[in-house]
Amino acid sequence: MPFTKKLQKFNATVRSVEVGTGDKAVTLGGGNTLPFYSFDAPTTNTAKIGIEISDMGLAHEPDCIKEVYAGCETVADMAKKAITMEGVDFLCLRLEGGDPNGENRPVEELVAVAKEVAEAVDFPLVVEGCKNVEKDAELLSKVAEALQGKNVLLMSAKEENYKNIGAAAGLAYNQLVGAESAVDINLAKQLNVLLKQLGVDSGKVVMNVGSSAAGYGFDYLISTLDRVKAAALGQNDDSLLMPIITPVASETWSVKESVATEEDAPGWGCVVERAIDMEVETAVACLACGSDAVILKHPTSVATVSKLISALS
Amino acid sequence: MDKFITIGERLSTTAPTVNKAFLERDAEPILKRAKAQLDAGAVYLDVNIGPAEGYGEDLMKWAVTLLQENFDNVPLALDTSNKAAIEAGISVYNRSKGKPIVNSADAAGRIEFVDLAAANDAIVIALCNGEGIAADNDERMAYCTQLLERGLGLGMAEEDMWFDPLFVVIKGMQDKQMDVLNFIGDLTDMGLKTTGGLSNNSNGMPKHIRPIMDSAMVAMAMMKGFTSAIVNPNDLRLMETIKSCDIIRNATLYADSYLEV
Amino acid sequence: MALTGIQIFKLTPKKNCKECGCPTCMAFSMKVAQGAMTIDQCPHMSEDAVATLSEASAPPMKTIKAGVKAFADNKNDSEKEFALGGETVLFRHEKTFVNKTRYAASVCTCMDDAAVEARLASVAAIDYDRIGDRMYVEFVAVDCAEGAAPEAYAALVKKADGAGRALILNVKDEACAKAALDVCKDKKPILNAADASNYEAMSKLASDAGVVLGVTGASVEELYDTVAALEKAGNKNLILDLGTASIKDTFANAVLVRRAALKDTDRTFGYPSIVNVGKLASGDSHMQAALAALFTMKYGSIVVMEEMSYAQALPLYGLRQNLFTDPQKAPRIEPGIYPINGADENSVCLTTVDFALTYFLVSGELERSGVPCNLLISDAGGLSVLTSWAAGKFSSGSIAKYIQEFEIESKIKNRTLIIPGKVAVLKGDLEAKLPGWNIVVGPTEAVMLVKFLKDMQANA
Repeated sequence: MPFTKKLQKFNATVRSVEVGTGDKAVTLGGGNTLPFYSFDAPTTNTAKIGIEISDMGLAHEPDCIKEVYAGCETVADMAKKAITMEGVDFLCLRLEGGDPNGENRPVEELVAVAKEVAEAVDFPLVVEGCKNVEKDAELLSKVAEALQGKNVLLMSAKEENYKNIGAAAGLAYNQLVGAESAVDINLAKQLNVLLKQLGVDSGKVVMNVGSSAAGYGFDYLISTLDRVKAAALGQNDDSLLMPIITPVASETWSVKESVATEEDAPGWGCVVERAIDMEVETAVACLACGSDAVILKHPTSVATVSKLISALS
Repeated sequence: MDKFITIGERLSTTAPTVNKAFLERDAEPILKRAKAQLDAGAVYLDVNIGPAEGYGEDLMKWAVTLLQENFDNVPLALDTSNKAAIEAGISVYNRSKGKPIVNSADAAGRIEFVDLAAANDAIVIALCNGEGIAADNDERMAYCTQLLERGLGLGMAEEDMWFDPLFVVIKGMQDKQMDVLNFIGDLTDMGLKTTGGLSNNSNGMPKHIRPIMDSAMVAMAMMKGFTSAIVNPNDLRLMETIKSCDIIRNATLYADSYLEV
Repeated sequence: MALTGIQIFKLTPKKNCKECGCPTCMAFSMKVAQGAMTIDQCPHMSEDAVATLSEASAPPMKTIKAGVKAFADNKNDSEKEFALGGETVLFRHEKTFVNKTRYAASVCTCMDDAAVEARLASVAAIDYDRIGDRMYVEFVAVDCAEGAAPEAYAALVKKADGAGRALILNVKDEACAKAALDVCKDKKPILNAADASNYEAMSKLASDAGVVLGVTGASVEELYDTVAALEKAGNKNLILDLGTASIKDTFANAVLVRRAALKDTDRTFGYPSIVNVGKLASGDSHMQAALAALFTMKYGSIVVMEEMSYAQALPLYGLRQNLFTDPQKAPRIEPGIYPINGADENSVCLTTVDFALTYFLVSGELERSGVPCNLLISDAGGLSVLTSWAAGKFSSGSIAKYIQEFEIESKIKNRTLIIPGKVAVLKGDLEAKLPGWNIVVGPTEAVMLVKFLKDMQANA
C-alpha cells in the first residue's frame, strides 16, 4: 500500500490581529494549523518578528548592540535605524527605565519617549512596560492615551492590573492589549475571559503566555505553548484563539551563555556569536511550538529567523 | 477527548406553544426558544415536528431555514418519524457548522433511518432497542451490532453513528440504572459515540428534584465515556455539571471563569 | 495497542458465514477484541489482516540502537549504544519523550587534511557538564563525495573514528560503503546509504556488517515504498534520512513521518530519523543553529551539522535537556557548593532549593551582581522555595544537616549565610542550630539579589 498523507484539519482559526496602521500594518495570528505545518493547509499568515529597543538607549546594552546603533543619539534615532533591519516586521519599545527597583523614571518622561518614537517612525509599534504591575498600570494606560490612533500593542496586562490596562488600552483609547500570564495555561485562558467580560474586543487581544531562554526552564514554556495550541485549535476554544507573542530577547540576553566574556569562559568562543545563537535557537523553539510573533534584539538574529520563517511558509 | 455535545430538546411539538407556532409558521416563539437554548450553551438544536403527515416536508424546510438563517447555520437534529420530512430538511440544510443529525433509527421498524442517514451523509442517532425496550445489555448489544453493521455496510463512518442506550425511569426501574451506565461504558470501549434522552431517568419526580437527578446521571454517564445528550439546556444545574465534567475529562481547558464561557 | 471490535470488524470478510460459530462478523470481532476468541478462528481472514492484527500489539515506533557511546550521558546511564526513536507521543506533555536527539558534525572526502583535522578537533572541544548531563557531539558524519575512491573514503572514516565518536557513513557508492564498513563495522556505525535505486545491495552490506541502515527517498512516498520493500526483505534495523530537498520539504517529512507512526500507527514509518541541517544551510552557522533547534523540537533523532560550535551547542543542549525531561518530574540540581564569580572560602554564602529553575534564576542574578559568593544547594525535594518549605523539605533542620554532611564549616571560613526572603521565618531556628553563623534574610525575589548583594558589599 502506498503512503497517503493524512492531513490534520482543525475547525478553528486563530484570530488575526492587526498592529499599526496603513500599509506598514502587520497581522499577527490567523493560522489554522500547528506552526509551520504548511502541508496540512496553506500558510495564511506567517509568524512575525519585532526588534526591541529600550527607553534607556544604549546605556545597558552590550558592545555588539552599541555597534549596531552607532551614531544614534536618541531613542528615536535608534527606532529609525531598527526598522531598517532586514526581516523586521514591527518595533518594540521597552520602557524598562520605569522599574521602581531600577532607574524609576517618572511616567511622564517615559510617555514622552514613547511619543517621540511613535512620531519618528511610521511602523507598527509594541510598547512594553517595566514589569512592575503598579507602575505599568499607570504607565501603559498613559502610553495608550498618548499614542491614540496608532493601533499600538501594549504589553502587558496581568492578573493584577488587567482592569486598568484593559480599560485604557482596550476600551478608552482603542489600542491592542497584551495579556500576560507566566506559563500557566489556566490563567492564560482566564485573563482572556476577564478581558472579554471587561468589554475588550477579543479581536484586539494578543497573549504572552510566558517566556524563558533555552535551557532555563524552557520545558514549561514548550508545554504551555503546545497545550494552548492544542486547546485553541483542537477544542476550538474561543477563549484561547488569540495570537501569541513571545518576548525572547529580554530573556536570552541576560543568561550566562550570552554575557560571559571570553576571559570568563575560555573555550566558549566569541560572546556575540553565543548571544545570537541563544537568541535564534530560543526564538525558533518558541515559533515551533506556537508563538505567532517573537521579539528579538540583534539584527543577525532577526535576519536568520526571518529567513527560516520564509523558507517554511 | 472531544467536548460533550448537548442537543437542545425544547423545540418540540409536545410543547403546546411550539406546536402552535409550527402549525401557524409563527417564527417568533420558535426563535425565542432557540435563542434561549443557544445562549445557555446548546451545541445542536433538536427540531421535533412530530409525525406531521402531509405537511412535514414543508414544515421541516421552513424550520431548518428559519433557524439556520437566524443563528449562523446552527447544526440541527431533525426529529420526526416522517422520512420525507427529514430528507426535505436536509435538502435545505447548511453543513458549515456540522452535519445534520437524523433522529432517530432503531433496530426494528425504524432501521431504514440508518439508510436515510447514510444516503444523505448525515449523523444518525441509533436507539439500541427493537420492539420494546431491551431486557438486558446482551440484547442492547445485539441491537447495537445490528445497527452498526447496517451503517458500516452502507459506507457510514462509525463516528457518525451515535448510539442511544435508552435511559430508563428510576421510579419503577431503579435496579436497571447501572445496566444502562455500564452499557455506555461498553459502547465507549468499542470506540463508539453515544447520546440519549437523559431526562427519562427522572420522569415523574418532583420538579425541583429533576435537575439534581439529571445532573448526577450525566456525571456518571460521562464517567463512562458518554459523548452527547439530548437535554434541556436551560437547566442551569445540568449545564454546569456538564461543563465541570468536561473540565475533569480534560475536554476543555480550565479557567476560573469556565462556567461563564 | 489493542484494536477495538470495530477496527477488527473492518478487517473481517463481512460475509456473516457463521463458520466461526458467531452469528455475525461483528459479533466475532467483539469477542476477539475482548480476548474471548482468537483471530485464527475465522477461516476467511486474509493474510494481510492477520499481519495487521498481530502487529497491532507492537510499539508504534521502534527503538534502534547504533554507535558506541564515547561517554555515559550521566551517572545513571549504563547503555553502551545510542538508543534512537522509541517515542510514543507527539508532544512532551502527553508523556515523556524517551530518547533524546543526538548531534553530529561532518567531515567529507572533499575537505583537505588540515580542514578535517580542525573539524575533528572542534568536535572534541565540545564536552561539558550541564545539570549532571555530559554534553558533547555524539556522532561524526563522514560524507563520501561523488567519485571518491574507496580507499580514500575508508581512510577518512578511519581518521574520523580516531575522534572517538560514533559514526554515520553518508555514502551512495557500494564499493566505498563496503570499504568503510571494513574499517569501522565493530563501532556500529550507521550506514546512511540506501535509496530506491540501491537499497537491496546496501541492505545486504548493512545486514552482513550488523549495522543500522539509513534510508532516504526523493519524496516521502518514495521513502515509504523503499522502507516497505526493505522490511519485506527482512531488514527492520533502519533509520530514515529525511532528505535535503529544501527546508520546507524536510520539515514536512519530519512531521509526516512521525505523525504517521504515532498518530496513525503506520509502522512502516515507525523508525527514528536523521536530518542533515549542514546540507540544508551549508556555510550559514546561524541558520544551522536555527534548524538544529527546529529539528530538535520536531522529530529529528539525529541532527547533523557541518560543525558544532559552543555558540550553537550551549542553547541547543539546554533546549534538548528541557525538552526531554519528564514533565511530571521537576529537574533538580545536585546538592553541593557552587562557587560563583570566583568565590573562595572567605566569600559569603547563600542558600536556596535544588529545583533547577530556582537555581538558574538565582545563580544568574548572582553572576550578574559580580559579587563572589558560594551558593549552597541542599536536597529540598526538587521543589520551589515555598513549596519545599511547606513540605518540610527546606527547613532549619534540613539546612543544618546539609551544612554538617557536606562539611561546609571546614570548607568555607565565611560565616554569613543568606537565606531566601520567602523563608525569613527560619532565621531564629537556624541561628539556634548553627551557632557561630550570621543568618541574613535575603530578598523575596531573585531579581532583587543584585542590588541586595551590592548594597551588602558596599556596607561591609
